[in-house]
Amino acid sequence: MELRAIIGLEIHVEMNTKSKMFSDAPVSFGQLPNTQVSAFDMSFPGTMPTVNKQAVINAIRVSNALNMTIDNVLMFDRKNYFYSDLPKGYQITQYFRPIGRNGCLTFNSGDENITINIERLHLEEDTCKQFHVDDFSYLDFNRAGIPVIEIVTKPEFKSGQEVRKFVELIRSIVVFLDVSHGKMEEGNIRVDLNVSLEDDNKRWSKVEIKNLNSLSNIEKAINYEVNRQKDLVIKGKTIGRETRRYDETNDRTVMLRIKTDSVDYRYFTDPNIPPIKLSDEFIKNAIDTSPELAHVKQKKYKTLGLSDYDANLITNSKETCAYFEKGLETGCSPKTLANWINIQVQKVLKLKCISINEFSISAKELGELILLVEEHKINNSQAKSVFNEAVETGNSVIDVINKNKTNHILDENEILDLIKEIINSNQNLVNDYKNGKEKVVGYIVGLVMSKTQRKADPSLTNKLTVVELRRR
Amino acid sequence: MKKVDKETLKLAAQHLMFEMSDEEYESLLADFDSIISKMKILGEIEGIDDVEPMTFPFDVTNSYLREDIAGEPLTREDALKNAKDIHNGMIGLPRVVK
Repeated sequence: MELRAIIGLEIHVEMNTKSKMFSDAPVSFGQLPNTQVSAFDMSFPGTMPTVNKQAVINAIRVSNALNMTIDNVLMFDRKNYFYSDLPKGYQITQYFRPIGRNGCLTFNSGDENITINIERLHLEEDTCKQFHVDDFSYLDFNRAGIPVIEIVTKPEFKSGQEVRKFVELIRSIVVFLDVSHGKMEEGNIRVDLNVSLEDDNKRWSKVEIKNLNSLSNIEKAINYEVNRQKDLVIKGKTIGRETRRYDETNDRTVMLRIKTDSVDYRYFTDPNIPPIKLSDEFIKNAIDTSPELAHVKQKKYKTLGLSDYDANLITNSKETCAYFEKGLETGCSPKTLANWINIQVQKVLKLKCISINEFSISAKELGELILLVEEHKINNSQAKSVFNEAVETGNSVIDVINKNKTNHILDENEILDLIKEIINSNQNLVNDYKNGKEKVVGYIVGLVMSKTQRKADPSLTNKLTVVELRRR
Repeated sequence: MKKVDKETLKLAAQHLMFEMSDEEYESLLADFDSIISKMKILGEIEGIDDVEPMTFPFDVTNSYLREDIAGEPLTREDALKNAKDIHNGMIGLPRVVK
């Protein structure tokens, strides 16, 4: 009997809009508790919701990226429950008419392409943040009302690795579309899993694992849970319908509560938000003005001459793409720029534990440094020295060049004069070259580099030496 | 239609977490009787089963969406004015999870 895992996901993505889903309170992270709230977020009587346009545009863009059918009427429902994280006594969500329906996403996991069907995508408001200390719970309403999109997949995943790849892709989509900061560790993306087992004859009860907020924990939690359930089946025990959480410290899932009858949330359409008609033009415009996704950028970069490997590395992060594109504006070679970013820049970022946005050398400066090499004004090793010194001192690239006068690289004529001088003083060099001793070229280049304290461009010197030797 | 009796109301009151006196239950039951008898009249209208359920009294839609511009939030003092227990700028309550 082969036991197979079946996994479905609910992914909550917190948006990075300027204001909240139903109020104009600011969305700003890291602020003092209860300072980013409006009367509506606190559920003061008489306050009314107003729907955030950007949140709707974001939901349309993500729905489109997930190949979903987009509803042209926006309706909201109340999910009624009594709990301290939402003082209204209900959450405004889209139960009956999600804005996106019936999508799918294809991705690569291992060596195969997998397509997962997506049931729905809906808009809702986030709840307040609760802190539990000793006998008390404390409420911070700054998060209450932040726009959230929830993506619900069909239960079609077979392994933790597949789920991880899928969530990685969702993260990339929402970050590149500028819908969310996508920082899983800060709770911008939270995943609930439904894990169950089946064989050819039977499907066992599903277990929910709530609130996973890191890619590695998602994979680990699934691996543990699948093994736990298989063990129960093999031992002839029952798999209970329950909600569990992942205990990171001990790498296991722990039961939170047994699911009895499903909770009745008494959903009904929110009477405070009349149906909103989304015109075809509005939807089309939201899609047409959508920022480029990673795979679109990858394709574009490859047409500029980047290898698959380099294009993949650059599109790993939206910030790196922005840096790369800014650097390209200087007119430097895309391939060389990508090499510098993927090797030199990434090395510094890793070492300093910083993001590319915090990197002291701007994209424009790096592009201009590469241009100097391409124009033979400095050589590659000088460019690296300049780069390293600029990183170490925090000075601008141009300041470092001026200080070291590395910009006073010998021009073509100066190098040629030196080559001629060396050859003139040793006629044997020409004879040896003509007799097939190509090493002579390297010897002359070495002498030029030494005489100029490495201020000549080696490749240019090489080229000029060959031309001069042949001319003799 | 499910019969609304005192037990139904008691269960609802329990879900909504408030208590009512016997007199209040009696008064509410009378209200329900009146509402349900009116509903029965509606149910007798010919072809009523073919009418799509309505959420709003008028079949209208609008297209208004609020621009995503952050406004001025409440001051913390105003936001927490109704809270009984405030601790480090947060509302305190008895622990809600085990």
